[in-house]
Amino acid sequence: MLALRDLQAAMAAYLVSGDAAGIVGSVVGDSIPAAARLRIHRHHLHASLATALAGTFSTVRQLVGEGFFRAMARAFIATNLPTQPVLSEYGQEFADFVERYEPARDLPYLADVARLDWALNLAFHSPADPRLSAADLTTVPIEQLPSRTVHLAAGTTVIRSIYPLDRIWATCRPDAPADTVDLDEADARLLVFRRRDDAGFVAVSEAEAAFLQSLAAGACLEEGALAAFAADATFDLSVTFARLLDLGVFAAMQHQVWNDSVMGRPRAAFAAQSFAAPHDKSP
Amino acid sequence: MAPVAGIGLRAPHLAAIGRDRPTTAFLEIHAENYLAPSPALEAVERLRDDYALSVHAVGLSLGSADGLDEAHLARVASLIDRLQPAHVSDHLAWSVSDGRYLDDLLPLPYTEEALGIVTGNVSRLQERLGRQVSLENPSSYLAFTHSTLSEPEFLSEVARRSGCGLLLDANNLYVTACNLRLDPKAWLDGLPMEAITEYHLAGHTVNDADGAPILIDDHASRVGGPVWSLFGEIVARLGPRPTLIEWDADIPALEVLLDEAACADRVVAEQGRGHARAA
Repeated sequence: MLALRDLQAAMAAYLVSGDAAGIVGSVVGDSIPAAARLRIHRHHLHASLATALAGTFSTVRQLVGEGFFRAMARAFIATNLPTQPVLSEYGQEFADFVERYEPARDLPYLADVARLDWALNLAFHSPADPRLSAADLTTVPIEQLPSRTVHLAAGTTVIRSIYPLDRIWATCRPDAPADTVDLDEADARLLVFRRRDDAGFVAVSEAEAAFLQSLAAGACLEEGALAAFAADATFDLSVTFARLLDLGVFAAMQHQVWNDSVMGRPRAAFAAQSFAAPHDKSP
Repeated sequence: MAPVAGIGLRAPHLAAIGRDRPTTAFLEIHAENYLAPSPALEAVERLRDDYALSVHAVGLSLGSADGLDEAHLARVASLIDRLQPAHVSDHLAWSVSDGRYLDDLLPLPYTEEALGIVTGNVSRLQERLGRQVSLENPSSYLAFTHSTLSEPEFLSEVARRSGCGLLLDANNLYVTACNLRLDPKAWLDGLPMEAITEYHLAGHTVNDADGAPILIDDHASRVGGPVWSLFGEIVARLGPRPTLIEWDADIPALEVLLDEAACADRVVAEQGRGHARAA
């Protein structure tokens, strides 16, 4: 007789590997053999985790279809079980897995689509903390603004891709008309963020992306603007700043750390590695 | 009799329920879907003043020999603190082993060892939340050769030792009885009536297991006829309790859920009268 901890370890080993040798002797078999009874649980585990992944990576699922997605999910699950029960937080490694998944090698944009789905999922599961408004900024002396850091609201991130991710995403909406996307038509820089009732994204320019990524890494406004100018000498800080304020992608004052000089450089609102790595265009 | 039947609050219905505020005895959510912030959690918080809530957890893994995951427990406690639900529950099952979450309600051997472990975990949960929780009978697809207690004996003893409530799922009982060749009426005889806090109802499907039928508790259809009959028997014997219609896959129009709840209320009104006469 197995102690409960050993029984649970044996059951877990079976569910992952499909090898029932360590557990089948502990299960009652009758007109339904023990192995067939055990298979119900193994099937359920894979089906329910694949369903969770299909919900989080709904654009990927839409692109590849149910059968392909289920097979890909099964392969992912075999080496990536969740470590806790909140399934909206399951799948962080899925995009990298998709990039290496051999049967998807003819769909080179698929991993970036998965990165967009994951970023939207993270933005959706972010708090609706108050956002910075133009009125808030009137309390900051104008000469101090350049040295200020402005944190991005939780869940805000920039996704870059050499593929037109926004066009691909649009064709996957349930009500989208049948359409084709030229993969070479444009690369994408998408600002993903939490909105009031959902998560969404807008396309941003190279300079705006540089500005946002600089702020995310903890730079002050002046440093952010310099990064943007380096990307595009015609960058207009006031236009971009007004647009980003309007989108609500900056955390409100009370969620900012304003006294850099006393506290030292504050940590960025989110880590730089939450960005997808920029892709180089293939020659 | 005031309605006792509530419905599961699922994402496709969130906007309609927020807008139309249909009448229902309570709304149930799965704890694990609301532990991270989201617009959906904010929508539930807006409903809190108008509806009694039931927080039904599926991932506490009360049967784990490893004990409870304190980090997860803290998140559940925080949600319960925010929502102040009328009911809190999870299952007599396990889903965590060695830090891996096996997304299923996995079966336990009904042994003295497991009884001690479940009682300890339920007691820890109640201590952390500062309130009673209810333990739900699972749908079973297999039994272990070394079980020494029946399921009602096991549930009764956990309730007696920990002071927890028992959530009686009529569909789970029907599924278990068919799959493990038990008599559901004899099963009911072993349950302490005073510990029962809530009923659940759901649909199941019939699958094939190596040529023999096996019932799968998939929460993807209306409550089946035999389960309505068993539910009537339960209410006649044990009296009315808050009753949840569960529907978690192939989710239908809100009106269908509300209609199922109305059916449950009719059974309770009918059988509850019989119960009152018998009492």
